[in-house]
Amino acid sequence: MAKKAKSRTIAVRLISMAMTGYYRTMIRPRLHRPLSMLKYDPVVKKKVLFLEATKGGKAK
Amino acid sequence: MASITESVGKLPLRLRNFFARYPPQVYSALVAPRPTAPEGEASAEQNLPSPYTADRDAKGAHKEDREAFSFSRALLHNDPSNQNPFLPRKIFTTGKWIGPRYGLRQQADLVKLAIKYNVEPLLPPSTKSTEYKQARLAERGLRIKGTGIGQKVKGHKWERTMEARLEDRRKAMTEMPEMIRLWKQRGHGRGWRQWPKR
Repeated sequence: MAKKAKSRTIAVRLISMAMTGYYRTMIRPRLHRPLSMLKYDPVVKKKVLFLEATKGGKAK
Repeated sequence: MASITESVGKLPLRLRNFFARYPPQVYSALVAPRPTAPEGEASAEQNLPSPYTADRDAKGAHKEDREAFSFSRALLHNDPSNQNPFLPRKIFTTGKWIGPRYGLRQQADLVKLAIKYNVEPLLPPSTKSTEYKQARLAERGLRIKGTGIGQKVKGHKWERTMEARLEDRRKAMTEMPEMIRLWKQRGHGRGWRQWPKR
């Protein structure tokens, strides 16, 4: 039997680079480059850089 | 001591009766020999239990060493010829114990009264005396985990790691403008290399 097809999009976790442990979860196309954006971190109460966390392996 | 003995006449009847029965010249803590720690022997205060025992009654938990020299225990001097009325004694022929002449409640009353009239040293050594209580406190700590000498409270993990985490955060925030500048320079993440691990 054929394997179930992978979904086109994946849920990714964007971690605050302020090292507060705060993160946001987003959905991006599987083949897209990793997400990164400036977002508000409520712990340090500032806009900081959020980077996508790679799950074990390395990002493209 | 002379000034203390002069004031005996002004004492309340209860204390005067006590001193009449047990004259301070013979019975008081002042005339009792001062205890000295034997040479080369570990005293009880040096082997304090670790603050991290799970349960004091747990199997293998540190027990107080009854054989070791203890200053507080040595304070409770009992002269066989003049029995201390505040201490129980053992009759070695029968192996039985006789309770103290004055019970603990009466002892506490007398000590409190003596403290009020400033004649506490004239009472015989007692477990209720200030000196004994202080010596014992110094030996055993407050019996609350982590309050003894050289002990600390373990606390929750978030409390123990708080300082390091705040330091990390502070460091990350000082480097943040530079990081954002770099991120913008590299095409908003297009050329970014160091992605964080999850």
